[in-house]
Amino acid sequence: MYYFDHSATTPVQPAVLDLMNSFQSNVYGNPSSVHSQGRKARSIIENARKQVAQSIQASPNQIIFTSGGTEANNQVLWSMVQKETKHVISNVIEHPAVIKVLQFLEPFGLEHTLVPVNKNGLVSVKDVENAILDETGLISVMLGNNEMGTIQPVKEIVEMAHEKGILIHTDAVQCLGKMEVDVLELDVDFLSLSAHKFYGPKGIGILYIKQKETLSSFMIGGNQESGLRAGTENVASIAGIGFAAELITTELDQHIDQLNQFESQFKSGLKAFFPNAVFNGDPSNTIPGLVSVSFPGHRSDILLAKLDKANMAVSSGSACGSGDVKPSTVLSAMGIDDDINISTLRFSFGSSNTIGQVDSLLAELKSILTNR
Amino acid sequence: MTRIAVGMSGGVDSAVAASLLIDQGHDVEGLFMKNWEEESEYCSAEQDYKAALQVCDVLGIPLRSVNFAKEYWDRVFQHFLDEYKNGRTPNPDILCNTEIKFKEFLKYAIELGADKIATGHYVRNRKRKRETQLLKGLDTGKDQSYFLYGLNQYQISSAVYPIGELEKPDVRRRAKQLGFENYNKKDSVGICFIGERNIKDFLQQYIPEKPGIIITSDGKIVGEHDGLMYYTLGQRKGLGIGGGYSDDESAWYVLNKDLVNNELIVVQGHDHSGLYQKCLTASAVHWISGTAPNQEKLNAKIRYRAKDTSCKITDLNMNEISVKFDEAQFAISPGQSIVFYDGDECLGGAVIDSSSN
Repeated sequence: MYYFDHSATTPVQPAVLDLMNSFQSNVYGNPSSVHSQGRKARSIIENARKQVAQSIQASPNQIIFTSGGTEANNQVLWSMVQKETKHVISNVIEHPAVIKVLQFLEPFGLEHTLVPVNKNGLVSVKDVENAILDETGLISVMLGNNEMGTIQPVKEIVEMAHEKGILIHTDAVQCLGKMEVDVLELDVDFLSLSAHKFYGPKGIGILYIKQKETLSSFMIGGNQESGLRAGTENVASIAGIGFAAELITTELDQHIDQLNQFESQFKSGLKAFFPNAVFNGDPSNTIPGLVSVSFPGHRSDILLAKLDKANMAVSSGSACGSGDVKPSTVLSAMGIDDDINISTLRFSFGSSNTIGQVDSLLAELKSILTNR
Repeated sequence: MTRIAVGMSGGVDSAVAASLLIDQGHDVEGLFMKNWEEESEYCSAEQDYKAALQVCDVLGIPLRSVNFAKEYWDRVFQHFLDEYKNGRTPNPDILCNTEIKFKEFLKYAIELGADKIATGHYVRNRKRKRETQLLKGLDTGKDQSYFLYGLNQYQISSAVYPIGELEKPDVRRRAKQLGFENYNKKDSVGICFIGERNIKDFLQQYIPEKPGIIITSDGKIVGEHDGLMYYTLGQRKGLGIGGGYSDDESAWYVLNKDLVNNELIVVQGHDHSGLYQKCLTASAVHWISGTAPNQEKLNAKIRYRAKDTSCKITDLNMNEISVKFDEAQFAISPGQSIVFYDGDECLGGAVIDSSSN
């Protein structure tokens, strides 16, 4: 199996898996217990917190562990319900873990505005600024888009919004390991990450919180995570996210080089035999290794199924509950018409790939696209 | 070994069809088809897909999903609405087979590398020298050849119908033995995209209501209707005609629709002679073999749940047909199809336009 779907999820690094397995087998204490087994578990968690904090230039006490990016996003948005300023600005191409939550929170009195994006999927700082109301308390803009990789001007939005005393959240799940993610530089108030996007385990993520007073708890119960996230900690997975974050950021430059190499090899190879390919997103400002391509005249579900039969994994738009491919709302929001939209595949490369695999992918695509 | 893509609906019939083909040694894949976009309690695509997934998990075969909602809307649903607007009673499931399942779906499956498709229809096919025949399912109570009369030779011979050799209780028993969670799922009835809801509520969303009067065949006004499209010839229920209009206490039936004056014409009693007619004309004639049958005497049915009845074709040209039954038929309804049989063999059919005595 050749796997080109790293934006969906990544395989767990063997070293991370070994560490997790060892903790899973040997450290069974409850981190809240005061005896030695408990203390051992506690120290594993705190070490992981340090590792994650270092990977994004945060302090350990600014990190809480969650079940993933979705929970982290939910917690930030649900927190807004309890504030005086009950208006949130986001945009039309955010992940459902933001947009659907905002829609759900409307009856709870939380209003929102979704600003548009341009044809490259870019949010304009001006549009965000124009959407600000007296009641605006939060702006949520993802750092890098999951469907075509466009990197949003989060830093510029932060500068503009902080002057007005508005908090900023960014969903950065697609970004760690593919670009510098520096919370000091970005100056955001909240940032979400998910381990399985950077070769860590599924079911574990973090929320970075610049100042804890700005956030309310979401899971209520025990006093774990400074009272901000109740529930006995998932010790092995927390160790996994910590180690995975450390590994991917210490090898960041090599990883980016590798992704760029795969990407350019793929793009130039594809253009050579399929000049009609349309590359979506902002070419100058995109996450490396994530390529959204439309194949005019071809249906993405057929392409996907044919690649699957050749044992190659890629993804198309967004699959819905009944498994079929619908036009992607993200691509629609960028003004891409339905015919092109449903001909779009996403290829996302990762450290499990080799140049040889990219060549095999190109050869397979060539045979699918040219021998009809 | 043949590569077969089985149209998995999430129901028990297609599930058992897939298992039979695997047992026969074929290379089988599941293909789930979504033809209707609606997220509501009436549209069960998501549960159906999950049921299909469970079956494919048990069988150890892949399941893919494909969306033909646009094709369905353009080629089946628009026609369905047009027919209702014209006061007729269409049968969209017939068109769905010719235009979607045995056209788009077939094309899709072949493109993905399948040699044939399979469905969970209760029909069989039989190869003759130069032609493939469509036969009724062995379980005559479940036979679905009525819905497939519009297929051509290529369509019929590109598909296999493993369930056609079985009876429904046997299908359910096999499903239970195999561990399919859907073994007890009730048979789907009615038009798929309408589901459990009232057809009237459904149509209201698409066609404006045009109320008028209900009048007896001898000219007495006995009530009001909400729109002729809501009624089918021979319909008894839902007319809302109270007592007191005649001494006769028999039930009222729809005899006809007067589209020009927007009047619904009714009569009393299931035995009323006006409800029974011997002759009809029909158009959009289709013969499965490609040519009209030689024999003059045939059997036919005028709706899915009707019995085969002896008749003869009195006039036939390319696109129109006149038929005379030996015995008068109850409520021949324009828009429904007349389907012809020679014993077990389904020969073809046409869409009914009018009836007379």
